Amino acid sequence: MPHAPDTLLDLPSSTTQTVPEGPALEAASREPAFRHSRAQRLADRWAHLVFLACGLLVVALIGGILYFLAARGVGAFIPLAGNTDKVLTLREVFLSTNWDPNAGKFGILPFIAGSLTVTGLALLIAAPTGILASIFIAKIAPNWMKTLMRQVMDLLVGIPSVVYGIFGLMVVLPWVSGKWLSDSPAAGFAVSAAILAVMIVPTIVSLATDAFESLPLSLDEGSQALGSTRWQAIWHVLIPAARARLLTATVLGLGRAIGEAMAIQMVIGNNPQWIALMRQSTDQTPVLRLLFTPAATLTTELVQELPNTAAGSTWNNVLFAMGLLLYLMTMLIILATRRLSQRREA
Amino acid sequence: MTSRSLIRTALTVLLLAPAAFAQTVTVMGSTALGPLVKQAAEDYMKSHPGVQIAVSGGGSMTGLNQVVSGGCTIGISDVYATPDQDKSGIRNYNVVIEPFTLIAHPGVGVTSLNPQQAEDIFTGKVTNWKEVGGKDQKVVRVNRPTSSGTRAVQQMTVLHGKAFSNNQLIQDSSGAVANTVATTQGAVSFIELDFLNRSNGRFAGIAYNGASCTKADVSSGKYPLFSFGHAYTHPGKTDPKVLKVAEDFLAYMLSPKFQDTTVLKAGYMPVAYAKSLKTKL
Repeated sequence: MPHAPDTLLDLPSSTTQTVPEGPALEAASREPAFRHSRAQRLADRWAHLVFLACGLLVVALIGGILYFLAARGVGAFIPLAGNTDKVLTLREVFLSTNWDPNAGKFGILPFIAGSLTVTGLALLIAAPTGILASIFIAKIAPNWMKTLMRQVMDLLVGIPSVVYGIFGLMVVLPWVSGKWLSDSPAAGFAVSAAILAVMIVPTIVSLATDAFESLPLSLDEGSQALGSTRWQAIWHVLIPAARARLLTATVLGLGRAIGEAMAIQMVIGNNPQWIALMRQSTDQTPVLRLLFTPAATLTTELVQELPNTAAGSTWNNVLFAMGLLLYLMTMLIILATRRLSQRREA
Repeated sequence: MTSRSLIRTALTVLLLAPAAFAQTVTVMGSTALGPLVKQAAEDYMKSHPGVQIAVSGGGSMTGLNQVVSGGCTIGISDVYATPDQDKSGIRNYNVVIEPFTLIAHPGVGVTSLNPQQAEDIFTGKVTNWKEVGGKDQKVVRVNRPTSSGTRAVQQMTVLHGKAFSNNQLIQDSSGAVANTVATTQGAVSFIELDFLNRSNGRFAGIAYNGASCTKADVSSGKYPLFSFGHAYTHPGKTDPKVLKVAEDFLAYMLSPKFQDTTVLKAGYMPVAYAKSLKTKL
C-alpha cells in the first residue's frame, strides 16, 4: 500500500526547490514571460482575495471563540456589565472540590481531576495497545492483512462517539455491573476509560503505523543481519528510532480523549460530588472505589448544564470558565504536538 | 453586470423578508413541551390562514432567556422564571399539567412508598430497599443534572426542598434515565408519567402516597407529583400585532377543545384538574 504523506506532521526537512531570490525575483514578477488577458488577471486578483478571506476567516474563528469564552468566563471572577449574579474568587473555583450551584458553591476541581483521571486511564490502555498493534501492522502482518487492518482502523475513526456511548450504556454497563459488581452500578472511570481507549486507539494506530513504516528498512535489516531476533530488533532498534513520532501519536490521542464528551457522558455517572462521595464510602477497596464511583469531567458537566443555566448567572459564567480551561488545555496539547514533531526533524 | 443585480436582489429580499413574515410567532424552549405546542401550532394555523407559528427547542432556560431578551415571542418552560427574569415584565401562562411518577428497577420488591419513605430514599437516609419493605438490595439513585427542570420539580414535591444525596448517578435526559433504571439493579428515579406508560415493563412505576396519577388523585391533592408547563410572553418587547396573535394562540391552547383532547392524548393533563389546588409548583 502506498504510504500517504502526512502533511500535518510530516513536513519535509529541507526544500529541494530553488526559488529565485532578491533582484531576480523582482525582475521575474515585473516582466512575465507572457501576458494574461485582462479577465484572467482580474480573476487572479479576485481568487487571491477569496483565498485570503478564507484564511483570515479561520484565524478570526479561532480568535473569536477564544474571545467569546474568555469574555463570558472571566465574568465569574470580575463584575461585568451582563452579570446578574455574585462574583467569585479564583481560589473558590479552581481549588475547591465542593460543587453545589444551588448553594453558591462552584468548586470545579472534581471536573478537572475527573478529566485528567479518565484521560490518563484511557491513555494507559490505548497507548501500549495502539503501539503494539501498529508494530504488528507495519512489520509483522502479511500484506493483505495490513491493508485490511488499515481500513478497519479508518472505519473506527469514523464511528460517531454517540454510538460508542450507546454501546457502553446498553451493553457494557449492565454486563460489568451484573458480572463483577453484583449489585453496584458500574458507571465510573473504569468503563468510561475503556470506551475512550477504544475511541482513541485507531488514531494512535494510524499515526504509529506511519511512524514505523517511514523508518528506513536498513534499520530493521541491519539489526537482523547483526544477529538480533525479531523481537530484539523491534524493542531495541525500531521503537527507540520511532520514539518521537510515537509520542506525537499518543499526545494526539490525548487531545482527542480530553475533548470527548458525548460517549463519556453516557457512562461515567456524571456525579459532580464524586470526590466527597469517594471519601465517604467504605464498602470497597480504594482502587475499586476510584474505578467505580460515578464521576464527572469538564466536558460532561458542560454538556449537561450549559443549555439549562441562565445567561449572565454565576453558574453560567463558571461553566464558560470551564470551557475556556478546556480550550486552553487542548491548545497546550496541540502546541506540545507541534514542538514534538519539530524536535524530531531537528 | 449580473453580479451587481444579484446583490441588489439579495439585499431587497433580506430587507423585505421581516415585513413579509410580520405575522410569525416564534416559540422556543422546553423540548418536553415542544411536541405538544407544535401540534397546537399546526391545528391553529389550519384555522387561521396567514399566521405562522414556528416552534423550536433549546431547553427551558433557553426559552426563558430568549423571551426575556425579545429573541422569541413565546418562551415555553417546565419551570417558573427566576425572580430576575420575572422583573423584566414577562407574563406567565400555565398551559398544561405535566404529571411525573416514581419509577424503579422491576426487581426491587417495592410497589408503593409513602411520602416520608420516598423523601428518605432520595436524601440518602434509606440506602437499602429492605428498609422500606423490599429486597436486600442497595438503592441506586438516578437523577437529572442540577439545572434540570424535572430535578427541581422532584426536589420540591418529593424531597420537600431538602438536598439530594450525593450518592447518585446523573443522566442528561429522561430517555437516558429510563434506560439506566431499566438496566441497573436497585435503581430508582423520577420521570415524566408518559415514559412509564411506554416502558413495556422494562421498569416499574411506584405509587406515591397510595395514589397513582389519575384525575381524581391530582384534583384532590392526594397526588402532588406534577408541575405546570409554562408559556411566557413579553408584552413590552413584542410587536403589538404579533403579541395579539400569540395571545390568541395561547387562548386556543387553554380552550377546553384543545385541553380535553390533544393534551390528554399527549400524556399531559388539562390545567383545570389543578384549579382547586392553591399550590405553587
